[in-house]
Amino acid sequence: MKIIIAEGSAEVDYLIKMFRKNRHSIIVINKDRAFCEHLSAEYNIDVFVGDPSKKFVLGDADIFDADILIALSPSDADNLVICQLAKRVFRVKRAIAIVTNPKNVGIFKRLGINNALSASHLVAETIERLSIIENLVRSLSIEEERIVLTELKVAEDAAIVGNMLKDLNAPVHFNLSCIFRNPEVIIPDGNTVIQAADILVIVSTPDHQTAIVDHLQRKR
Amino acid sequence: MMKNKERTIVVGLSRLGSTIAAKLSEQGADVVVIDKESDSFRKLPETYSGYEVVGDVMDTDVLEKAGIETAKTIIVTTDEDNINIMIGEISAYIYGVENIFVRLNDNDKSVLLEATRIHAIYPFLLSLDEFERIMKGESAAS
Repeated sequence: MKIIIAEGSAEVDYLIKMFRKNRHSIIVINKDRAFCEHLSAEYNIDVFVGDPSKKFVLGDADIFDADILIALSPSDADNLVICQLAKRVFRVKRAIAIVTNPKNVGIFKRLGINNALSASHLVAETIERLSIIENLVRSLSIEEERIVLTELKVAEDAAIVGNMLKDLNAPVHFNLSCIFRNPEVIIPDGNTVIQAADILVIVSTPDHQTAIVDHLQRKR
Repeated sequence: MMKNKERTIVVGLSRLGSTIAAKLSEQGADVVVIDKESDSFRKLPETYSGYEVVGDVMDTDVLEKAGIETAKTIIVTTDEDNINIMIGEISAYIYGVENIFVRLNDNDKSVLLEATRIHAIYPFLLSLDEFERIMKGESAAS
């Protein structure tokens, strides 16, 4: 894949090392000349000095048709312009922005940049999901938070223990895609019986997550 | 702040911004200016009688404090093009402001505003036009 890294500082080294392992071709664009010199001395990749929110700089770096661009500037406005230019002018397939202000995650989405990440937003979201739910092993949002994967451990005294999947009578629709029953991994069907200490892997929409978890955790 | 359909918000007290704000205020318009530096408000002449909001315009709370939800016009003239573009887009797509003007120094960025209703003002192009007009005038006169 052709990957563009626009702006950023210490994290750029880390990203380059990661992407290089998988043999992606990497182009770095950064305003900081000294940093660019360090990168091109250290790694065998294309490095361009310049402001990536300018069209001619992106053109010089030949980002056309790249698979992914990552915008890491501390200025959210710079990242918005970089991503919009990349997508609209240079037909980059995916543009990802790291935003400083967590409120901009939603704003970027409404301005056509679907992949805005904010460290504080991610932490807050994870804590929110984890804190309310007992026995929740893990929760992961995918596809821009339209799908959520939940791992839930079945308690000894849960009402669903001994029930077949088809008899769960959940109030909302969900998909129980997999059960970890140490050491086995079971792909369940309607007749699979749930046991205590099973770890259920559930696919659902984020809206339904709480209702599903509540239902599956009901005590006997 | 009071709701007002005819409100104009001026973002960034550059020379252009403060002059526009003062003019509109003298004409009796309902004007709010936003700037991140409280010192910048000294650029406004004494005749300016509108509101002043100090804050980072990249924070939508600041825009809302200035009444963007009901504003009719916004004029964005900070000295950073990318901020001006982002505020222009936020005004158009999130708050539905009717008249949007942004000043841009880099006319390459016009590509992002094509097919939007955001009006961009490019000092570079205006200067170029003026230069060509003067040159033409002189060659006609000679």
